[in-house]
Amino acid sequence: MITTRAQLTSPLQVVTLASAVLILLPLAYVTSQALSADSAVWSRLWTTRIPELLTNTVRLSASVAGLTLVLGVSTAWLVTRVEFPGRRLWEVALVLPLAMPTYVLAYIYSYLLGFGGPAEHLWQLIAGPQGRIFSPHSYLGATLVMTLDTFPFVYLLSRSALLNMNVSFEEVSRASGISRMKTLWLVTLPLMRPSIAAGLALVILYVVSDFGAVSLLRYQTLTYAVFQQMTGRSDNTAASILSLLLVGLALLFLVTERWFRHRSRFYQTTGRYRRAERHRYGWLGTSVITGYLMVVVGASFALPAWLLLAWSFSPEAQTTIDSRFFGFLWNSGFLAACAATGGVLIGVPLAYMANRRPNWLNVGCLQAAYAGYVLPGPVAALAVLVLCLNATPFLYGSVFVLIVAYVIHFLPAGLQSLEPALQQITPNLEEVARTLGLGVRQTWQRVTLPLMRNGFIVAWVLIFLQTMKELPATLLLRPVGFDTLAIRVWMEASEEYYRLAAPSALLIVLLGLPTLLLLLSKDWRAA
Amino acid sequence: MAYQFQFLPSAGKWLAALACLVVVSALTQSLPAAEKLTVYSGRAERLIKPVLDEFTAKTGVQVDLLSSGTTELVNRLKAEGDRTPADLFLTNDAGSLEQARVAGILRPLNMREVDRAIPPQFRAPDNAWIGLSGRFWIIVYNKTLVKPQDLKSLLDLGDPKWKGKIAIPNAGSEYLQAGVSVIRATYGDGKTKEFLEGLRDNAEAQVYQKSSQIVEAVAKGQASLGIVNHYYVYRHLAAQPAAPVAVFMPDQQDGGMGAIMNVAGVGIVKSTKHLDTAKLLVEFLVAQAGQKLFADLDKEYPLHPDVKADPALVERKSFRAAQVPLTRLAELREPTLTLIEQVGLR
Repeated sequence: MITTRAQLTSPLQVVTLASAVLILLPLAYVTSQALSADSAVWSRLWTTRIPELLTNTVRLSASVAGLTLVLGVSTAWLVTRVEFPGRRLWEVALVLPLAMPTYVLAYIYSYLLGFGGPAEHLWQLIAGPQGRIFSPHSYLGATLVMTLDTFPFVYLLSRSALLNMNVSFEEVSRASGISRMKTLWLVTLPLMRPSIAAGLALVILYVVSDFGAVSLLRYQTLTYAVFQQMTGRSDNTAASILSLLLVGLALLFLVTERWFRHRSRFYQTTGRYRRAERHRYGWLGTSVITGYLMVVVGASFALPAWLLLAWSFSPEAQTTIDSRFFGFLWNSGFLAACAATGGVLIGVPLAYMANRRPNWLNVGCLQAAYAGYVLPGPVAALAVLVLCLNATPFLYGSVFVLIVAYVIHFLPAGLQSLEPALQQITPNLEEVARTLGLGVRQTWQRVTLPLMRNGFIVAWVLIFLQTMKELPATLLLRPVGFDTLAIRVWMEASEEYYRLAAPSALLIVLLGLPTLLLLLSKDWRAA
Repeated sequence: MAYQFQFLPSAGKWLAALACLVVVSALTQSLPAAEKLTVYSGRAERLIKPVLDEFTAKTGVQVDLLSSGTTELVNRLKAEGDRTPADLFLTNDAGSLEQARVAGILRPLNMREVDRAIPPQFRAPDNAWIGLSGRFWIIVYNKTLVKPQDLKSLLDLGDPKWKGKIAIPNAGSEYLQAGVSVIRATYGDGKTKEFLEGLRDNAEAQVYQKSSQIVEAVAKGQASLGIVNHYYVYRHLAAQPAAPVAVFMPDQQDGGMGAIMNVAGVGIVKSTKHLDTAKLLVEFLVAQAGQKLFADLDKEYPLHPDVKADPALVERKSFRAAQVPLTRLAELREPTLTLIEQVGLR
């Protein structure tokens, strides 16, 4: 028994180790390049770019965190604690913004709020022809777009906290004569704290690593600066230094999120579970609530989606739907399929080994695979690029390099669904199969793999859809001329050809919708 | 299609099959056909594609146009070395072309057609790159907001009176880098730095990725003036004749440095396997017919002395160009980038 296990595990062991090395090596290269950089480069960056970039990044994260907190918690509270017409519909609709990649939302808002755009015209009706609104290409604009795009994270986590909370606490408080509002402040919110904190850390992680919105809104953050350094200069030293800072920052928030998520488990329901009672308000309260939700969902999804639809069917946009367009679609699909397959192929051994033989080596390898979480797109691209230039220059400029970057970047999302799938299979089943005379390989084929199939499919789909909308790594590493849908959106939008960008953008949004179904069912972390 | 493939998924094995395909398709780039050229282009696609289409129509040679950023492409050509699929490198900045030449990426050429068509100051000494069209870094202004008599030199744009009124390209723009190099070569680092700091403060958030956006912003009155290559203004005017924008040719005052010139050019990549076809394209681009396309479609100044620029443009003989040789743009570049970064341009 033990020897046959060993037969199976030894080649797997090699695969596991190789995967971990493949994932960590690029990061190591970038780190060493940054640390070995001339101190003159460091000091130049410290005196010129870094203070501004750090301030901007932190400032944006802070304001987005504050606003998503308000939006996310309030909407979650409304759909779980209040009864009003269409409640279940709103419950789903509030997740929809996650299907909008940040660059799509950013480009729509740079049209809506842009100079001479519709919002300004409206304002001029009130304030006179000289009226000006704030420019979307600013701190405010970036805050608005990132908030609308990320508040569903806080919403989803708060919602599940509210649903799973033991209502007795609230009832005791109400029974002791404490008002509804005060109960919310003194009991409900404190109980939700770990979930909210985890949601906020996730939002911040997302903001820190975003490239799409800040590049289109021309707001200078660390992630954007890494990209600019890579495309504007002939050596990557400065980009590596900025990347290292960025990885440090991301790591900080990832650890925070993990810590709070870990803690949040202690707060989950114990004992009998009962649904909290939903309060009904009068017609006035109900219409205020509906109005509020309409504004939130309208601004973050309905209005942008409607504009994309209208633009896509404009004659201007129709001319772009030709054989080239399908070429881009094909490229996107091809890359995404490769990345998803690669991710699953690498992810399975990693997850399997860490769960079946949880020694320090295998668990360490699995942890290494989560490195993608702290590698924003441009950094992942830089890391793979540096490695490739040093170790395998003949692969430079091929799709292979790009796929490696995708796999590193999105493997964590895949592992999130592979790991639980594996944990649910008891080793006993495999052992039974062996005692009944199946060979090692047959056991895998007929027992383990079929049992894991659902986890497989979910992981594959998640990586596939994430890759479809990935922007910065694709921009930096694609073979010259190998454009994808996301690239077309970004290129047309960055020249303000809003209509021409619409068909590709719409397609990306539509393709993102299935991810949301998965998200709603279980895996909220994936987008 | 280079990446097209067909496969029938057979149960249980499709993962492995797809994995093999990943590797195979990644390694097999498009197969070289006899009458086909691959051009890496740092120019905006809509500026160069019509010209190449004309070449295809005339000769039947297919051209694969692969567009990206200029610096990115130089980095890429360096990294790809002899493996590169590119036959020609075409871009919008003499400094980058010269850098590519120094890096040994481009192939020296001996072509009578080139010597005859393009004056020597617009090409490399060994013809490893050849200028195709000239462009000037000019001030575009909104006619309702600014009077031309308020403008004189580019360097005046650092003056606080323009605060919040200027749109500029971002620090990664090769035009900006080349322009700053010429200013440094003419006036020295101190004065250049002062100018850049002023420009940075005046531009505030109006830092754009694309020159067309700058012209757009000036036309809408979002900015009063901007710094761009001249043809973006004329292209905008060709599409929207009523737009209130005009070109101001800076630094023409007595003792001024003259307008900053750069060229778009082309070079044949050293490792090309289609040398004769590549030469055919170069020949087409420098000949009168090709040069006329740059003049008419792109509103650039043709470099062929016998080809006239578009009549809408400022007459070429009516203004002076700065006296910094194009080949120097390469060596000036690195210290220029350092200065730009020191100042903290975005």
